[in-house]
Amino acid sequence: MTGTVYTETVVHLAPEAFAQDVPYQVAIVTLEDGSRVTGRVAGDRVSIGDLVERVAMRDEVPFFQKAASQLT
Amino acid sequence: MRPVAVIAAGKTRFGAFPDRDLRSLAVEAGEKCLKNGHVSPSQVGAFYLGNFAGPSFTGQNHLAPYISTALGIRDVPATRFEAACASSGSAFFHAFSAVAGGLYDCVMVAGVEKMTSQPTARVTEILAGAGDCAGEIKAGSTFPSLFAMIARRHMYQFGTTREQLAAVAVKNHANGALNPDAHMSKVITMEEALDARPVAEPLGVYDCSLISDGAAAVILAPADCARDFTSKPVRILGVAQASDFVALDQKPDITTFPAVRRAAQKAYEMAGIGPRDIQFAELHDCFTIAEIVALEDLGFVERGLGGPWTESGATARTGEKPINTSGGLKSKGHPVGATGVAQICDLFAQIRCEAGEMQLKRHSLGLAQNLGGSGATCVVSILGNV
Repeated sequence: MTGTVYTETVVHLAPEAFAQDVPYQVAIVTLEDGSRVTGRVAGDRVSIGDLVERVAMRDEVPFFQKAASQLT
Repeated sequence: MRPVAVIAAGKTRFGAFPDRDLRSLAVEAGEKCLKNGHVSPSQVGAFYLGNFAGPSFTGQNHLAPYISTALGIRDVPATRFEAACASSGSAFFHAFSAVAGGLYDCVMVAGVEKMTSQPTARVTEILAGAGDCAGEIKAGSTFPSLFAMIARRHMYQFGTTREQLAAVAVKNHANGALNPDAHMSKVITMEEALDARPVAEPLGVYDCSLISDGAAAVILAPADCARDFTSKPVRILGVAQASDFVALDQKPDITTFPAVRRAAQKAYEMAGIGPRDIQFAELHDCFTIAEIVALEDLGFVERGLGGPWTESGATARTGEKPINTSGGLKSKGHPVGATGVAQICDLFAQIRCEAGEMQLKRHSLGLAQNLGGSGATCVVSILGNV
């Protein structure tokens, strides 16, 4: 599953459940069908407009990574 | 529909009060309000309470009669309204509807939140309950992060800058320094705002409103008998509530809030005026970007120009459209459930020329905008003595 980053942020202050992950990046991704989903970013930080692909589902949360074609 | 007026207002200071419980704050605001309007508890025909998360913050539930009976208001309907940060704005809208419709002749609307008894991580978790817990929150979003994502997109689409966001914080802190009831009466510089510890990029600590305790109350009555209570009633010229998706990722465009636009349009129509006529406003600056988006959605400035307009000084207390002369949520404080009614108290004081050092020269027509969550509820109220 691939998509485009619609917006993103890096979270520094989190509830206890995610405290061990900070800082972590959250992004809203526009999928190919035009729908949007909120997920976490794995690996390199992404920016608005970046192509991303879903690399994992953990506890129903999609994890996205910059698409291979964009990696430098 | 009968014309309705606000005849009395009262509120506590906002701040962190470790030795005060939720009920004592609400009772203080309610008693001040009754005294301000020379109203006896037996005259109050219904009690409307705005509260977001009292049960989570304090363990206490069934809050409306818990507070109304402590105020000596007995037997009448006492109901709590929950609409995230717009809880007491929503209570105000529904109280207005009941008085305008002829159901009651005297209604108290109060708002309260007691937040500081919990550590920040737990507060963040409780506030996140106003988002979509099965989606965005599960993915690690917090409220600051939702507004951070709005800020990022606004910057991307319109070129809004980090400095323009900080200009909102600098202005509201300067305003709050004149407010003796503000949580944080502290002037900050642009450098301090820009260098602050990050919370959710691009937002730093000074882009975020405060975690506060506090309460506020007002009393509504039909306009034709308002002068039985006070020589200076303030008319509710327009008020409207609108709703939208809770999850940010369901909104087609996150740089504008349709609920704000709809509520504003209805309130302007009811009042028979437009955005240009508004002389001053209290806006829901839960985050600096929220004030910028509100300026645009309320029609004070064209879309995308909220940042430059703020930077130009137009929204300062000396500007053409003073915004958040109370200090706003940013500096006055944001006891979530109290905020909507507290904004009404601020308009009431300005319009009656009782705002002390905060008093504006042009003060006869004001607007309050109270936002819930990331835009799923909005209440817009227009008050005046015209």
